[in-house]
Amino acid sequence: MQKWHWPTPNGLPPFHISIVVICSILLLALSASMVEISYNRIVNGWRPMVDFLGHLLVTPDWSYLGQLGAKMLETVEMTVLATAIATIVSVPVGILAAENASPHPFVYRIMREVLSFARALPELVWALVFVSAVGLGPLPGVMALAFVTVGFMAKFIAESIEVVGKGAVEGIQSTGGGRLQTIMFAIMPQALPDFAGTLLYILDHNLRAAAILGLVGAGGIGYDMVISMRMFEYDRIIMIAISIYLIVTLLDRLSDKLRKRIIHGKVNVIR
Amino acid sequence: MASIKINSLAKTYDNGFQALQCLSLDIDPGSFTVILGPSGAGKSTLLRTINGLETATSGTVCVSNLQVNKQNLKSIREHVAMVFQQFNLVSRLSVMTNVLTGRLAKRHSLLSLLYLFPKEDYAIALKALERVGLEEKVWHRADKLSGGQQQRVGIARALAQEPLAIIADEPVASLDPRSSKEVLTLLRDICREMNITVVASLHQVDFAREYADRIIGMNAGRIVFDGPPSAFTSSQEISLYQHETMEVKEDAKMALAYA
Amino acid sequence: MVKSMLSANHAMAGLEGRPRNLFPVWLSLILIVLWRITVDLDIDFSTLAYGVSDMGEYFSRYRTPDFSRISTYLELILQTLATAFWGTVFALIVSVVLAPLAARNLSPHPLIYRLSREMLNFMRAMPDLLLALLFVAAIGLGPLAGIIALSIHTAGFLGKFFAESLERVDGGVYEALEAVGAGFLQTVMFAGWPSINREFVGYTLYIMDRNVRAASVLGLVGAGGIGLELNEALALFRYDRASAIMILIITVIIVIDHLSSYLRKKLN
Repeated sequence: MQKWHWPTPNGLPPFHISIVVICSILLLALSASMVEISYNRIVNGWRPMVDFLGHLLVTPDWSYLGQLGAKMLETVEMTVLATAIATIVSVPVGILAAENASPHPFVYRIMREVLSFARALPELVWALVFVSAVGLGPLPGVMALAFVTVGFMAKFIAESIEVVGKGAVEGIQSTGGGRLQTIMFAIMPQALPDFAGTLLYILDHNLRAAAILGLVGAGGIGYDMVISMRMFEYDRIIMIAISIYLIVTLLDRLSDKLRKRIIHGKVNVIR
Repeated sequence: MASIKINSLAKTYDNGFQALQCLSLDIDPGSFTVILGPSGAGKSTLLRTINGLETATSGTVCVSNLQVNKQNLKSIREHVAMVFQQFNLVSRLSVMTNVLTGRLAKRHSLLSLLYLFPKEDYAIALKALERVGLEEKVWHRADKLSGGQQQRVGIARALAQEPLAIIADEPVASLDPRSSKEVLTLLRDICREMNITVVASLHQVDFAREYADRIIGMNAGRIVFDGPPSAFTSSQEISLYQHETMEVKEDAKMALAYA
Repeated sequence: MVKSMLSANHAMAGLEGRPRNLFPVWLSLILIVLWRITVDLDIDFSTLAYGVSDMGEYFSRYRTPDFSRISTYLELILQTLATAFWGTVFALIVSVVLAPLAARNLSPHPLIYRLSREMLNFMRAMPDLLLALLFVAAIGLGPLAGIIALSIHTAGFLGKFFAESLERVDGGVYEALEAVGAGFLQTVMFAGWPSINREFVGYTLYIMDRNVRAASVLGLVGAGGIGLELNEALALFRYDRASAIMILIITVIIVIDHLSSYLRKKLN
């Protein structure tokens, strides 16, 4: 037993790693009953899963293709609109929430708190709230998406403004530029390439989020998904899943390429 | 202790570059051989082929009568240790763990994946670290060491393999002159005391003259000099590196022609 | 012919001094697309403006949170946290297996590399709630469906992050392990994971954080946690209860957020 040991001075596994592993195992064991995981469930859980996968092996319902296309388009449109609105709102909010550009430290603090509030809950919760406020349809979905996106985007803008060195700001200020001019000419051009990369990440995330907003009736493909699920229309479910996969992957590849080009400076975001 | 026999070895890279052109060479067991030559001469390719890190296009390499090929790769690598220019240590692991990786080829069990090593491996690793004079740094992180010390850890890792031969690819190219001397002295002493065949490529002709038993000059994938250091005169040195300047001139001409 | 056209172009560029700025063109194009979208989605901003006063009234209904069912909520919040934790652990296990295969410079074969990359992409592309919906149908209501959904989706994320970190490790380190005769798994364990240990912990914490957020809505499709309670409260127009639940969720998420950013900072 003593023959093998770990490459540490005392031959035992590193302290912090052992602590993390032991605590994790304890937590998993304690919470297993809470999430209804049991030996029985794991042993017998395979059958319904296999049965279900069997259900999915059906010929797609081609007559549904038209409606699917319309709904997917709606999903994409919601994504684009919400991201655009969020971008427009985020620029001024981000400036207010940046320590070195905010007019007053108090404004800065308040803005930061508001933004972390907007980020705290997932889109779907806000969609639920907005649906009960303005009724069913894509509007509450767009509102929810835009709201959460502002939380992320404005924080990002604020942080990149803070990172941009003081030198650029002083350079413009020395020519007698005002606050707004300082921001437009000193801060924005430097933060923009970074921002373009983030925008692509956010688009990517929002598309996935938009695809499920329909679960609460806030527009997009998600609604069809729930309905087909309730009606056991597996021939439609498989089509929806595949089309979501395809469109997310497409955007993913596209934004990966674009991001690489932006990072390598092949695309001038602003001239 | 191993002899290395290289027979009409050629290597052409995918981009068409001919790194080695029908090269044959016998290296005596227990000798210290230094390979000199301008950059791009094929020194690195030659050394890496001996360990199987590169596969030759044609020709054979044998270490102690064992041919380097896909089937023998594991046992070749177990017995032929490499020392690299950039040390190639796992920077976030301790010196001891880095040296212990030299034992991995002999430990196939799942236990090795969990970083468990038997006591005898620790003894071997510790002996190797003592040999390179780093017994006080055993539990330091590898990247906290100076360049010279890191290279000595690299040599200790090679020693932990209990190798028959050590192949050192530009072992001192990233080091200052003093550390370079220390590392080369260490390699030569290891060669003498433990009877391990050492083949090293170097840039500095003076070091080669001082340490080598035998100097091999390479240029454009061919051997252009082979002999003891005493035979490597300054005129030979000039002709060995002359080609390089010629090529550079040609390149400049070509560049001008295309401009 | 072509040559003369080219030189003519050059002359033009010289006259203008710099290429034409296309920014206004792009901007107007984007605006037109956005306008088309609002028409297509039937979104009328005038009604939205009109509804602002209504909105004020609507949100005032959330002013008096009702915590009378707090013990149920806390239990469900614990279930939410447990779901997120189990999901993260499973995701970690799956991604630790797949990431080395999906790292270009480590993968034993280009075909295995492509296959595991595609697999990770597929797992990542599926939104977690959609997966939860499918698994609820497959294995029944309850947090287990949520755990499986979370682990599949975030294993895709973690696997991609890990694979990209493993690709950034200096190739010489992998080569050194190869050169001592170490096997694939030994190279992964001794040169791969230790070289990215910091990124490893950082990404895992980030995913844990994200999974807590995601788990709080899994209940909407019957996959366990606090989400179902929120959905029911809103369906019954019990805004006071909805408000209490949202306050609890936000508190938990912010606490977890601070905890993980504290841990991340401590790492650096």
